[in-house]
Amino acid sequence: MLRGLPRRIAGLLATLLAASFVIFSAVYAAPGDPAVLLAGSRQELTPEKLAAVRAEYHLDEPLVVQYGRWLWESAQGDLGRSFQYRDQVADLIGARLPTTLELVAYATVFFVVLGVGSGVLAALRRGWVDSAVVGGTTLAASIPSFVAAIALVSLFGVQLGWFPVTGQGEGFAGRLHHLTLPAFALALGALAVISRVTRQAMAEAYASDHVEAARAAGLTEREIVLRHVLRNALGPIVTMCGLVMAGMLAGTVVVETAFGLSGVGSLLVSAITTHDFPVTQAVLLLMVIGYVVVTTLVDLVHPLIDPRVSLGGKAA
Amino acid sequence: MRTKLCTAAAGLAGALLFTAGCSGASTGTGGATADAAELKLTNTTAKASGEAASVNWLVEQEPGSLDLDRQGTTSGRTVLANVCERLFQLQPDLTTQPQLASKAEYTDDRTLVLTLRDGVTFHDGSPMTADDVVWSLQRHAQPEMSESDEYEDVDEITKTGASEVTVTFKEPSALFMKALAGDAGIIMDRETVEKQGDDYGTPGQPDACTGPYRLKSWDSGSSIAIERYEDYWDDSSPALTKNVLFRWATGSALVNAVSTGAADGSYLTATGPAAVLAEKKGVRAYYGQSTTAWSLSPTDSGALKDTRLRKALSLALDREGIAKSGFSGLAQPWATPVGPGAWGYEKAAFQKAQTDLEKSTAYAASPSSDDIDEAKRLVEEAGAPAQPIVVASDGGESQTVITNAVRGAAQKIGLEVTVKTVPPSQYDEFFADPKAREGFDLIAVDWYISKADPVGFYDNGMSGSANNWLGYADSGYDALVKKAQQTIDDKERAKLVIEAQSKFADAAVWIPLVQVPSVLVLGEKYTGPPASMVSLYYPWAADLGTKG
Repeated sequence: MLRGLPRRIAGLLATLLAASFVIFSAVYAAPGDPAVLLAGSRQELTPEKLAAVRAEYHLDEPLVVQYGRWLWESAQGDLGRSFQYRDQVADLIGARLPTTLELVAYATVFFVVLGVGSGVLAALRRGWVDSAVVGGTTLAASIPSFVAAIALVSLFGVQLGWFPVTGQGEGFAGRLHHLTLPAFALALGALAVISRVTRQAMAEAYASDHVEAARAAGLTEREIVLRHVLRNALGPIVTMCGLVMAGMLAGTVVVETAFGLSGVGSLLVSAITTHDFPVTQAVLLLMVIGYVVVTTLVDLVHPLIDPRVSLGGKAA
Repeated sequence: MRTKLCTAAAGLAGALLFTAGCSGASTGTGGATADAAELKLTNTTAKASGEAASVNWLVEQEPGSLDLDRQGTTSGRTVLANVCERLFQLQPDLTTQPQLASKAEYTDDRTLVLTLRDGVTFHDGSPMTADDVVWSLQRHAQPEMSESDEYEDVDEITKTGASEVTVTFKEPSALFMKALAGDAGIIMDRETVEKQGDDYGTPGQPDACTGPYRLKSWDSGSSIAIERYEDYWDDSSPALTKNVLFRWATGSALVNAVSTGAADGSYLTATGPAAVLAEKKGVRAYYGQSTTAWSLSPTDSGALKDTRLRKALSLALDREGIAKSGFSGLAQPWATPVGPGAWGYEKAAFQKAQTDLEKSTAYAASPSSDDIDEAKRLVEEAGAPAQPIVVASDGGESQTVITNAVRGAAQKIGLEVTVKTVPPSQYDEFFADPKAREGFDLIAVDWYISKADPVGFYDNGMSGSANNWLGYADSGYDALVKKAQQTIDDKERAKLVIEAQSKFADAAVWIPLVQVPSVLVLGEKYTGPPASMVSLYYPWAADLGTKG
C-alpha cells in the first residue's frame, strides 16, 4: 500500500521544481514591465525612480539569479512578500485558500450528487430518460462557466433576489448561501463527464458474468444493483470524481472573478496581470501540489474499492 | 496613480443587465441618456441629518497596501481619506484650507513656516509633535516613495519650535502648499510606523493617523472596516456614520451589488457601470468635478511633427460623438488636457479661458463643414505623411471609440490612419520608456493630476519633460511655466498658467478630447458626501448619513 510513497514524493518534488522554473520564466517573459506597475503614478515614472524600484525588487538581475534567489528562500520556507500587496505571500494565500477549498468542496457535492445520480438513472432506465440525461448534461457542459455565472447571477441574484450577488458571506449559513450559485456554476461543466462515466461503468458491470449468476440465484433487482453493479462500477466513478475535483482546484479562476469571490483563483489573475512573481509562483505551485495530492489519493484508494486493481496498476 | 478602467467588461455586463434585469421606472438622475454637453456637475450632495450605524461601500479593487507612500491607489486613497489627515485639506469645492497646520507663512519666497495645530492626537492617543511632522515629510521625500516628486524643490525640513516646522526651498515652489493637501502632506505617528517596520500598511496592523475614522480591521481578500474614532481631536461636527465596510468589485459585480442594495454607494471611475446605475431604481448618481481628461498625445516619430497636421486633426475630431459613444454620455467635450477639478483658485478666469478655446475652432465640440474645409487646406499645405499615422489603443471601450473617431476624422481630411491595439501592460510602458513608443505616432491617454492647480499638468509640456513625447520645445513656454511654478500669488499665477495654456493649445502639443467627471452613486436613503474627486483626500464618510 505505502511501498510506492517515497518514489511518489520524489516525483512530486521533481514536478514542482520543473514547474516552478517554467512558471518563473513565463512570467518573466510576459509582455510588460513589473517596475512600471510598482513605481506608481504616471506622473512619477522618472528613469531614476524606475531604477530605484528595479533595485529594490531585484528586477535588474538576470532571470537565473532571480530564480535562484526565490528557490533558496522558498526552500527555507520564506515565500517572500507580494509585489502588489506588500503583505507576506503566505498570509495572502492563507486568507484566501479557505474560500477556494470551500467552493471546490461545495461544487464537488453538487457534481457527485447530480452527476452520479443522473448517471445511475440513465443506466437503470434506458430509453427516453437515458437520452434526456445524456442530452441535458452535454448541453450543461457546453455552456462556458462565465456565461453560466452571469446568467445565474442575473436570474437568481438580481431578478429574483434569492441569492447574494457578490462576496463570500459570514458564518457557515452565510457561506453556504453565498457560495451556492458559484459552486453550481463550477459544477455544471463536470456533470456530463461524471454522469457518462457512471452510466458506462454501470452498463459494463451489468454485463458481467456474476450479475447473471446473481440473477439466476434469485436475488432481487434492487439487491443486484446495490451489491454487485454499483460496487463494481464504483472504481471508475471515484477515480473520475477525484480527477475532476483535482482539476477544479486550478479551475476556480473564472467563477471566482465573476462572483467577486476572493479566493486563490482571483488572486492568481491579479498577480499575473501585475507581474507579481512571488504570488504567481506560490499559487500555481499550490495548484500543482493540490492536483498531485488528490490524484495520488485516488490511486491509493482505488485498490481498496476494487480488489482487482493493485497499486502497481497490474490486474491481480 | 491611474486605475485600470474595465469599461469593456462593464459595458458588456451593462448591456446584459439592461436586457436581463431592468424593471420599474427610472428614478435615477438620468445621466445615461443625458446630452453630454448638459451634464450637470455638482461637487456636493444635500447635507445629511440622520445617523447611520453601518454603511457598505465599494471600491474598485483591494488596496495593495494602506501605506500610501509605498503604493498610492485610488482604492487605498478612498479608504484612507477618512483615516489620515494632511497639513492642509482639500475642500469639496476644490479650495484648500489649513488642517493639521493652523497657519502657513512664507517669510521669504524660499522659506515656508508651518505652525502646527495644538491638541491633535493620533489614534493611539499620543499627541502629534513637530518631530512627527518633520519625520513624515522626510519619509514622503525619500526617492522610492510615491510622492517624492513633490519634494524636488525642497532643500531642508527642520523643527524650529515646539509646534513649528520650517521648510526651505532650492527655488520657490507655488505648488508645495497644494501638495501638502494631498498624500505628500499626510502626518503619521513616527513611533507606530517604525515599530511596525515592513508590516506597516499590511492587513492586521493599526493605522498611524489622526483622522475622524480609525482603521478597525482589514480581512485580507474580503473587506476593510473603518470606525468613527470617538476621541477625535476635532469635536466640532462629529461624523454621522459610525462604521464603513469597504468591499471591492468592478463591472457587472459592482452594478449588481449597488442595484440590489448589497452596497450602499461607490465612487466610480468607469463610465460604463455609472451609466447603467444612473438608470436603476433606488440608486442616485451624482457627477462631480475631476481633473481627468482624455487627450491624444503625439510622439516624436516625425509623422505629426508639423503643427498644421495636428491642428487639422483636432479641427476634424467629433468630440461630442466620442463623449456619447465612448463614455455613455458621461463625459464633456473639452478643449484643455485637464478637467475643471484642477481649478482650485481663480475659477472664473480658467472657465473663461476654457470657453475661449472651445470657441476657437481647433477645439470645438463638433466640427462644422468650414472646420473640415480648413483642416483639408492645412493637410494640403503641410503635405500628408508618406506612411499611415499609427494610433495606439489598449483595446478598452473608450480607447476603441476614440481611435475609431480619429480614423474617421483623418479620412475626411485626406490623412490615412491605422489603429494598432496593444495589451494593457504594454500600453502602460508607453509612459515609462521612449523605446516602447517607437512605431506609434499618436497615443490616447487619460490623464489626471492630484493637485487642484493646472500648473501640475502644464509642466509636462516643458522641454525635456518625460511626458513631453512630441519633443515640443519652446523657451517662451518653458519660462512661463517655470515662472508660474514659482509664483505664490494665486491671481498672478492663474494669469501665467492661462498664457502658457494658450501657447500649448496653439502648438497643439496634445489634442484634448473630453473631460470625465467623477461619479458618486448612492442608495437613495443616503446623502451628504462630496461628489467631486476630493473623495481621495477629504474625509467624505464623515459627511455621509441618512436623509433623516
